[in-house]
Amino acid sequence: MMNPIKNIEINPLKASPSLGAAIFFLGLKNAVVLMHGAVGCASFDKVTLTKHFRENIPIVTTALNEYGAILGGTDFLLSGIKNIYEKMKPDFIGIASSGLTETSGEDIAGIIGDFKEKQGLPFSKLIYAGTPDYKGSLEDGYIQAMLALLEDFSDKEPYKTFKKSKKLTMSVNVFCPVSFTPQDFLELREAIGYFDLKPVMIPDLGLSLDGHLDERGYLQTTADGLGVKDMENIHNSEFNIVIGLSLGSVVKSVSELTGLKTYYFPNVCGLKNSDKLFDLLSELSGKEIPEKYKRQRRQLMDAYLDTHFYFLGKDIALALGIDLLDSFSMIYSEMGANLKVGISTKFSDDIKYRFLNFYEGDLDLLDNYRNVDLIVSNSNAGFYAKDFRIPLLKAGFPLIDEIGHGYKHYILYRGAVNLAVESANLLNKG
Amino acid sequence: MRITAKEEYFDEPACEHNGVAKDKKACKTATPGSSTGGCALDGAYIVLSPIKDALNIVHAPINCLGNSYNQRTSETAQRENYYMYGFTTAINENDLIFGSEDKLRQGIIYVFNRFKPKAVFIYNTCVPALTGEDIEGVSKELAAKLKIPVVPVFSQGFSGNKNLGNKIAGDALFTHIIGRKEPEIDLLSDYNINLIGEYNIKGELFLIKKALKKVGINVLSTITGDSTIEEIMYSHKAGLNVVVCSKALIYLARKMKEKYGLPYIEGSFFGLTSTNKTIMDIVNSIGDYELTCSAKKYIKIRTRNTEENIYEYKRFLTGKKALLYTGGVKSWSLISALNDLGMKVIATGVKKSTEEDKLRIKEIDKNGNIIMLDNGNPVNLIKIAREEQVDIILAGGRNQYTAIKSLIPFLDVNQERLNPYTSYEGMEFLAKQIYFELKNPLFKLLKESNINL
Repeated sequence: MMNPIKNIEINPLKASPSLGAAIFFLGLKNAVVLMHGAVGCASFDKVTLTKHFRENIPIVTTALNEYGAILGGTDFLLSGIKNIYEKMKPDFIGIASSGLTETSGEDIAGIIGDFKEKQGLPFSKLIYAGTPDYKGSLEDGYIQAMLALLEDFSDKEPYKTFKKSKKLTMSVNVFCPVSFTPQDFLELREAIGYFDLKPVMIPDLGLSLDGHLDERGYLQTTADGLGVKDMENIHNSEFNIVIGLSLGSVVKSVSELTGLKTYYFPNVCGLKNSDKLFDLLSELSGKEIPEKYKRQRRQLMDAYLDTHFYFLGKDIALALGIDLLDSFSMIYSEMGANLKVGISTKFSDDIKYRFLNFYEGDLDLLDNYRNVDLIVSNSNAGFYAKDFRIPLLKAGFPLIDEIGHGYKHYILYRGAVNLAVESANLLNKG
Repeated sequence: MRITAKEEYFDEPACEHNGVAKDKKACKTATPGSSTGGCALDGAYIVLSPIKDALNIVHAPINCLGNSYNQRTSETAQRENYYMYGFTTAINENDLIFGSEDKLRQGIIYVFNRFKPKAVFIYNTCVPALTGEDIEGVSKELAAKLKIPVVPVFSQGFSGNKNLGNKIAGDALFTHIIGRKEPEIDLLSDYNINLIGEYNIKGELFLIKKALKKVGINVLSTITGDSTIEEIMYSHKAGLNVVVCSKALIYLARKMKEKYGLPYIEGSFFGLTSTNKTIMDIVNSIGDYELTCSAKKYIKIRTRNTEENIYEYKRFLTGKKALLYTGGVKSWSLISALNDLGMKVIATGVKKSTEEDKLRIKEIDKNGNIIMLDNGNPVNLIKIAREEQVDIILAGGRNQYTAIKSLIPFLDVNQERLNPYTSYEGMEFLAKQIYFELKNPLFKLLKESNINL
């Protein structure tokens, strides 16, 4: 009698682009994020990010009220910028817009551009990412912020003229996806360092949100991360590495904005793809692959053998952001695991063949898969896993009901061992 | 179509803050560039979402719900509960252009068919408020069609802060739910009260109910911890409203008094002194001799019992200094709880407190020693904590890292607290938690190690 169409998100997997932009900005050193919207836009994000990273999260708001919403938010935005500057003098102010400020149709980029031109701030970089909440997802906002940062530093051409001659260490710019844990960032940094290359992680959530106790105690801005100096030198790097399925669309822009040759990996997970990365690093640096990683490669091969028994005849359901869905399904596919369903916030032709079923949608789609043997998803899927009595491997965003996810890593050989072992143990228990 | 918040929300005769500021709008502004609390949506959702047989649909782009759902806890006696569920229309670009009223309509019908809720709350948010969607019309239409309350909640974030959201939610309950049903006769006892503003965090409501039951008081309805739509519908049949948490819900109590003649009092169940006083205030309001005797007897036994149980903790904690940074009622009720433990409160945050809350602080703090912190800036908190050599900071989760990164012991007393802190059992939990936090050798170790190698 009534329309049975499900035209509603029930337990969304998706988060908004403004949150993605905020996460990107948090990977900058001595930075503050300014959310241009009502107080809730900043507050909701701050709460979730604080719980996810278990760190102080410097996000503030332009606090738009009803007058600002109707008559325009310029004054709110500019006084927000000035107040941050006076109180904190950060190196970066990362500004993200919201559904509210974009709906009212103001030219925020223009306003900020004007402000920079006419007045500017002597010590702070203003980076603006246009992130209307009704358009795109977490990954899109992260990318917006990435491009905005690159554009801001793209006019540093002069450095290029006297480059390369006096350099002792070669630098490499590394662009990682929003799905990387702080430990993923640190692992990759270390691996690249083994080839006598200096990695410039853009952004660097490893240094900023790995949860280290800074000797300065509580800080109002990010304690560490990608610095202004690092950014000013990106054109002097040897090449770019871009990682992440979601970053596929920016490879060209990254290459153009930096003027460097760019190598792209949808993921650096599992045996094959880790091999590819190490081969590239070896080739470009002229150094042999270090013993440490040769060993880890052999360990992974052994771990695949040890754990694959637990996966035989078992079904796995994955509900993750597109980057992690790609990374994890890569590892599981190498082990021959049966991927019953993949759910993400975006459809992808590149990876759908790995799954029996593939959907773009919400966590509620799990309701149709009550008989799988393992669910891989974020904290919000906990309710379903508990209800169906299925073990849940918690990964992705947000992870708010358990502590320590920042220390986990799933990239390179050792990361694949981690996923294989954790999954096998859960399957064995279930 | 209503875009701006009702003027009435800013006029609160029951609040002594009323009329203090000439421009009442001043109450709702926040400074751009600062880190503030939540918006009206946040406040409304906190009040309404614990109702366990109702569904909450946030009509918004993905950020309003998607970035933050499933984070607050509210215990419930039954398993069936949609508190963990997050529903949103996830307005996209197309909806913005072509309108999303149909999407909302379809969404409500879908969840109605699937979950069979007793009511649906629809939260209006910034974007649909700006584009002028007729949430009220959709609600009316579907309430008639589905024969359950479909309640529009005008909680667009730009209207104001969390407190305003509390009020808006109270108004929604008052307008659409309360008074719609009469209670079955066996639900009523001689003395019936409602608890307003109690959300059963970590089962705190259960502890309060347990104590009240022993005294002989029946909690008819709780707004809204562990509650059902039905119990809120007949809440007007109670004899007394007890407002326990948010000053913002005084609005609801006052409205119920005007319409149903239902008197109200304010109280708190944090700490021994407050718990005892609130119980006595309740029985005094009811004014029954036997009930008063029973309450006095119960209080005497429980107080002695609790004091015995916390004796060791209190001996250690006596004279220790605390800095309190929390909102509203807790800004004074926790002072008395800490005083019960022999602790000295050096400062308390009053940014989210009303003038009356401040008066209560002054009542407890007769010598005027407590610093009233209007500025919640973390840097300021740390500065005071250091200057005054505070032993522990008690605050909400957002200040946890402010404290521990500065190597100052900390206890979360807001919604993410790990234990219930109300009533007699709660006093014991509080004493124990602070005791063990202060006894912990970790802070000493880290202070000694906080040098660069």
